[in-house]
Amino acid sequence: MAFIADNQTLEDLNIRGRYKSNSLYSIFNRTKTNGGGQLLDHMFQHPLTDEKEINRRSAIFQYFQEKAWEFPVDMDEFGIMENYLLSGGGQSWASNALQVARRRGLKAMGLMQEYNLFNTGFYTAIRLLKDWHIFFTRLQKEDAHHPLGKEMEAFQKVYSHQKLSWLLQPVTEGRLSGWQVAGYDHLLRNVLHDDMKALLQLMYFIDLCIAVSDVARDKKFVYAEALPRPQRVIDIKDCRHPGLDKAIGNDLLLDQNSNMLFLTGANMAGKSTFMKSFGVAVYMAHMGFPVAAASMRFSVKDGIYSSINVPDNLDMGLSHFYAEVLRVKNVAEEVASKKDLLVIFDELFKGTNVKDAYDATLAVSEAFSAYRNCAFIISTHIIEVGTVLMEKCNNLQFSYLPTIMDGQAPRYTYRMQQGITSDRHGMMIIENEKILDIIG
Amino acid sequence: MSFITDKQTLDDLNIFGKRGKQSIYSIFNRTCSRGGAEQLEQMFRFPLSDTDAINRRSSIIRYFQQRKQVFPFKNDQFEAIEQYLSNTDGRSQLTHESNTLERKFKTLIGSDTEYKLLAKGVASLVEIVHGLKKLTTEWLQDASAAPYIADLRIMQQIISSEAWKPVHEKKPGSRLSFEDNTVLDKIFRYLEIDHVRTLLYHLYTMDVYISVAQVATERKFVFPEAIDRELHSIHLENVYHPQLEKAIGNTLSITPDSNVVFLTGANMAGKSTFMKSLGIALFLAHMGFPVAADRMRFSVRDGMFTTINLSDNLNMGYSHFYAEVLRVKKVAEHLNANHNIFVIFDELFRGTNVKDAYEATVAITAAFARKTHCMFIVSTHIMEAGDTLKPQYGNINFVYLPTRMEQHKPVYTYRLEKGITEDRHGMVIINNEGIIDILKQGLNNN
Repeated sequence: MAFIADNQTLEDLNIRGRYKSNSLYSIFNRTKTNGGGQLLDHMFQHPLTDEKEINRRSAIFQYFQEKAWEFPVDMDEFGIMENYLLSGGGQSWASNALQVARRRGLKAMGLMQEYNLFNTGFYTAIRLLKDWHIFFTRLQKEDAHHPLGKEMEAFQKVYSHQKLSWLLQPVTEGRLSGWQVAGYDHLLRNVLHDDMKALLQLMYFIDLCIAVSDVARDKKFVYAEALPRPQRVIDIKDCRHPGLDKAIGNDLLLDQNSNMLFLTGANMAGKSTFMKSFGVAVYMAHMGFPVAAASMRFSVKDGIYSSINVPDNLDMGLSHFYAEVLRVKNVAEEVASKKDLLVIFDELFKGTNVKDAYDATLAVSEAFSAYRNCAFIISTHIIEVGTVLMEKCNNLQFSYLPTIMDGQAPRYTYRMQQGITSDRHGMMIIENEKILDIIG
Repeated sequence: MSFITDKQTLDDLNIFGKRGKQSIYSIFNRTCSRGGAEQLEQMFRFPLSDTDAINRRSSIIRYFQQRKQVFPFKNDQFEAIEQYLSNTDGRSQLTHESNTLERKFKTLIGSDTEYKLLAKGVASLVEIVHGLKKLTTEWLQDASAAPYIADLRIMQQIISSEAWKPVHEKKPGSRLSFEDNTVLDKIFRYLEIDHVRTLLYHLYTMDVYISVAQVATERKFVFPEAIDRELHSIHLENVYHPQLEKAIGNTLSITPDSNVVFLTGANMAGKSTFMKSLGIALFLAHMGFPVAADRMRFSVRDGMFTTINLSDNLNMGYSHFYAEVLRVKKVAEHLNANHNIFVIFDELFRGTNVKDAYEATVAITAAFARKTHCMFIVSTHIMEAGDTLKPQYGNINFVYLPTRMEQHKPVYTYRLEKGITEDRHGMVIINNEGIIDILKQGLNNN
């Protein structure tokens, strides 16, 4: 079953979006080949839901990170080879021979262009295929425990092909006879067309692995350990926001004994950022990608639901409140259908008055928290809810992001602390602004 | 000094609205001429804060309403004139010398567009002057035209002056020769240009008055009466929202004895709509325009500030609460400057915790209550704030919009009642959607 993350969640966490600055995709979008980019796309769209697959993929990335290889061939030449290898397909030997004859004929008439183009493609492909052979052989020989398994099949298949034994012999440009060129060309582009495509896929994958592991190395990301579903735990140390340079990390452990985090703090204190960081880390981890943290282990979830940036520039009033209610209902249905989910609600019910928001947040938080298989993070500015929940439920943890007043200017540490904030800046702000004095 | 207001207020009351959407301006925007529409916009941009000016304008509009006057000129006349006048280049002035054979040939083959435009503009002005001459003579004899007489006199003076004599000698609609046009062009575009502009200004204003009068008649709006400023009072009978069909009216008086209206009610009960109706009525009243009510008398205010749809200004790093505080501060500064202002706050301090919201609401409302020369409408869900304020301040008027529950479905009357209500329906909505039930059932199935 596919990992669930709807549009609202993807928007909230700013996951996809090739052209959006600061999206998670744009952080990892360092592949050199188009095919690598497509693979990256595919992985972003389909996080995994099996811990073995996740761990296998992250082990591959980790392996590449240790090796710190560079893409083994020149990019321009790679493009030429790609074009050459993909330009054939399905032609018969006869029609291919006709093409060769045509090129020769044109050449004889002094029209060199097509002949040169073909020659460049053909000889570049041969040269690069040799380079790749060296790369793959080293990978296999040097490291008996390399984590690439079925991916390497394409390599084995192509290079062990008996008709291709000439490929690894020295070939000098111009020394091959016309018959030889025609034969080899037919072999590479037509007979082995599908195998070559598979081999290219493998090369794209290598490109992707190098790109992802480079990002991880640069940004000091780590690989999460995926655990079987029933363990029901998410444990992240020093969880940071991957898009921020000097992000401050926080630890959070959500398990069955304590499956809901009740987060309070002033508006600028970093609640949303932490919630986003956590959501992003869980999403990344399900892709087998490195996460912005010191360490992470997690049991595989069925999906993530978040409600962070519910558009609030609409007319507030009921329409906004109702939109929130419908969102909560949607999530409630998913949670009740026994899925293991991570649910993130930021400033639940901010579209209504304080009192309704108090009642609603209390009732909804309590009802949700009974689902021990799911993990929840709920933030609110209505600190009174926390006090009541603390008495009613034993499976909640309470944290807050503090605000420190330096004189009149608030300062934020962005480090979570245990408990419910007692920062009540409401009246203080009013006093700072001297409003009552001004009115007189 | 003009009436003080700001963008937030204009947005809250939907005065101009978003592009292409219905707004208060668009209700009245029925002028014939484009110049009239511009004049109307100016009136909306700058409401009046002078009692006499307001009463004068409203009595003019009322005069046209009683006459069932239709605007006596056509838009294309004004279009032609504006186009003609917009060419202020001295070299384009017609002279007798330019009446050459070449011009005649051009006219013959119809390629002299510049001259055609000019001739059309001149002809339209001649028509309008003749029409106006007839109107002014007629209206100046009408005793009920008194409020409009000043405007009429100005227009009459201009067109009956010596310089305009050649205009009266021409018959409207008759063909004007090149020589005629040369003479008239000189008058309209060079000698008397300022007077022509003044004339147009008054005609556009007349267009506005007449079209507003038509709107008032069609929609059964009434003309508010501006009363003594020092009374600091507003009396409204059956005020309703002009953009709603089947709107329900409410009656309310605001006087120095009850200058703070403390409004409670559930989410859908109509609090915002009522507050907007009040704000719109007061805004239109300060323009001298008719309002959606049965009757309205009001002391002219220096300004109005509303806070109904305040959005978080997160880009500037403000929280919702801070945005609210800044808004209150702005109002406070006007109060401090002793301006007589009208203030609307919908759901004060919703961006904070319950305790802060309570304390802030009490503190701010109490401070407002001491300013008896200003008027405040404050809505909140924190009825405890009302209970605290009630014994301390006699000049707070506690009203609410009720909700009746009929088989778990809320029904709203939209009629103000005295007192404070505890109606809240956030949980009703959540329960109607069955959220808690869904979660409980899911657990039982396990």
